[in-house]
Amino acid sequence: MEIVVCIKQVPDVPTVRMDRERMTIIREGVESVINPLDYVAMEAALELRQKVGGQVRVITMGPPQSEVALREALAVGADRAILLTDPAFAGADTLATSHVLARAIERLDPFPDMVLCGMQTTDSDTGHIGPQIAEELGLPQVCGVNEIHVEGKDLVVKRLSDGFLDTIRVALPTLLTVTKGLCPVRDLPLGALEAAFSTKDVLRWSIDDLDLRKDEVGFEGSATRVRRLRIPLPRGNGEVVEGSPETLVNHLLRRLEALSILDEEDGKE
Amino acid sequence: MHLEPTMKQAVIRRSVRKFAEKRLAPAAVEMDRTGDFRWDIAEEMARLQYFGLEIPARYGGAGLDSVSAAIVIEEISRANAAVGLCVSVHNSVSAYPVYLFGSEEQRQRFLTPLAQGKKIGTFCLTEPNAGSDVSALETSAIREGEEYILNGNKIFVTNGGISGINLIFAKTKPAEKGKGFSVFIVESEREGLEKGPIEDLMGMRGNPVCPVSLRDCRVPSENLLGVEGDGLKIALSTLCGGRLGIAAQALGIAQASLDASIKYAKERHQFGKAISEFGAIQDFLAEVGTRIEAGRLLIYRACDLKEKGNNYTKESAMAKVYASEVAVDATRAGVQIHGGYGYTKAYPIERFYRDAKVCEIYEGTSEVQRMVIARSLLHG
Repeated sequence: MEIVVCIKQVPDVPTVRMDRERMTIIREGVESVINPLDYVAMEAALELRQKVGGQVRVITMGPPQSEVALREALAVGADRAILLTDPAFAGADTLATSHVLARAIERLDPFPDMVLCGMQTTDSDTGHIGPQIAEELGLPQVCGVNEIHVEGKDLVVKRLSDGFLDTIRVALPTLLTVTKGLCPVRDLPLGALEAAFSTKDVLRWSIDDLDLRKDEVGFEGSATRVRRLRIPLPRGNGEVVEGSPETLVNHLLRRLEALSILDEEDGKE
Repeated sequence: MHLEPTMKQAVIRRSVRKFAEKRLAPAAVEMDRTGDFRWDIAEEMARLQYFGLEIPARYGGAGLDSVSAAIVIEEISRANAAVGLCVSVHNSVSAYPVYLFGSEEQRQRFLTPLAQGKKIGTFCLTEPNAGSDVSALETSAIREGEEYILNGNKIFVTNGGISGINLIFAKTKPAEKGKGFSVFIVESEREGLEKGPIEDLMGMRGNPVCPVSLRDCRVPSENLLGVEGDGLKIALSTLCGGRLGIAAQALGIAQASLDASIKYAKERHQFGKAISEFGAIQDFLAEVGTRIEAGRLLIYRACDLKEKGNNYTKESAMAKVYASEVAVDATRAGVQIHGGYGYTKAYPIERFYRDAKVCEIYEGTSEVQRMVIARSLLHG
């Protein structure tokens, strides 16, 4: 099975701080790591490769330093790594990003049987990329998958939705976004890390390699503009009231009245 | 001059730190209390190639450069110094000399199981009457046909209680001072090799340090490392690398102490504010932080010299003496910052303090390191 995994470098969550003046993430001194669910996607791809054979290719769009994430992917066990990098790709929203990723996947030979993405990232948390790539490539998609089985020429996958466990049969080729619980993330042997950095290659594709125009990528190709960012107000502490049902009901009514949520007349009713 | 870690080194640090925080740190308290070595954790570490850091892949090692190896030892020691000691000694003074001086056949037979972590290694030099003064060795190895017969007592053998392969230093020509030493690779199961009781140590208690005695222990001549009389050369070269391992270990303990101290200083409130806001506490933190950074640079510089094949005797001695003294001072300051709580086992800082002290003693005391440095300064 030919599998492509899309990964993203994100700031390491425990070290992230916000610049409260400019409302941006302070990236200086913050280490970048592979988005945790993308790591799960890679492990799932490698598990499938072990079961049914094939090749795992890992792809990312980002600045040149994103190469480090791909090297780590090679250490995890990916067969090939491709970095989509070009100054024109900078400032992309999810639409422009998935457009570039889709175009790159389209160009892969052989075309993958399966594209895997993490369901969402820890930095922007949109969950857009997977579905948008699937739409652009015209692939069926299942999001939030936590179990994958190969059955003949199809996949049978499971996902939790609204408290139900969906079991879905999906034809290949397909795109899945995966969530935690799908498979464990292993620690990396040092020799694999050494080899990934010293003996393996990362392919680089630019805007020209992908035959894309500047107005369909990066900031220019983005359909959305961030107008404002703000940090949500912290939730206040809850109030605990004790007493008889009567006391509790009266207290609750008084509070609701005070907040003008309940009409005063109704309250007295 | 590049003073930044490479991409690879940064990823290695993150990867080892993650494992160490998840698996090694939680085991540290129990290992310190009971002195029990955790084979289950060692097996995981073997799979991750922590026992073959600088050994090439063809012998089952990870093939890391020296700076990366120091980073691995630092990160392990930051979480669990006793395991850091195990890894440091195994790699730098047991596996590495077998790689450097062993024949191809010896590498296949002894290095591969060491690098794969199937056997734990030791370095048996110290004796009751020979420590800093190596020339006073009393263990003898008398040749008899195709065998050597070893007799003597080795003490304070790090990893002794868990070792499978031991490097034994012995006099093959007792009359010749200096040149009369040789090194033998002796398997723990060999008849005549006996291990004594585990030492009741002040710190590093999770490492089974013990005496190893040899009573008419017959060792085939193919277990001789290098050639007869190579002992001093092997010892000196090995100890250079060993110093870097201990320096990295000391650095890890110092960093652990600083991290714990910063956390505590921010949490602990006195006189209505966090104690981190007091100048006296800030002085401690600033001093320790600065010296850790200086020690780190000394270590990486010496590792870089080693990696490039240059002589690094002086630089490794400087790194070792400096980093081990930083570790002791950092942990002492750490206990002070923690106040009364720092003197209890409720916080790890008292363990760091006990673990740190031995770094100034083993693999060449601070006094011996200064002799080495001064000799190099005076005589080039």
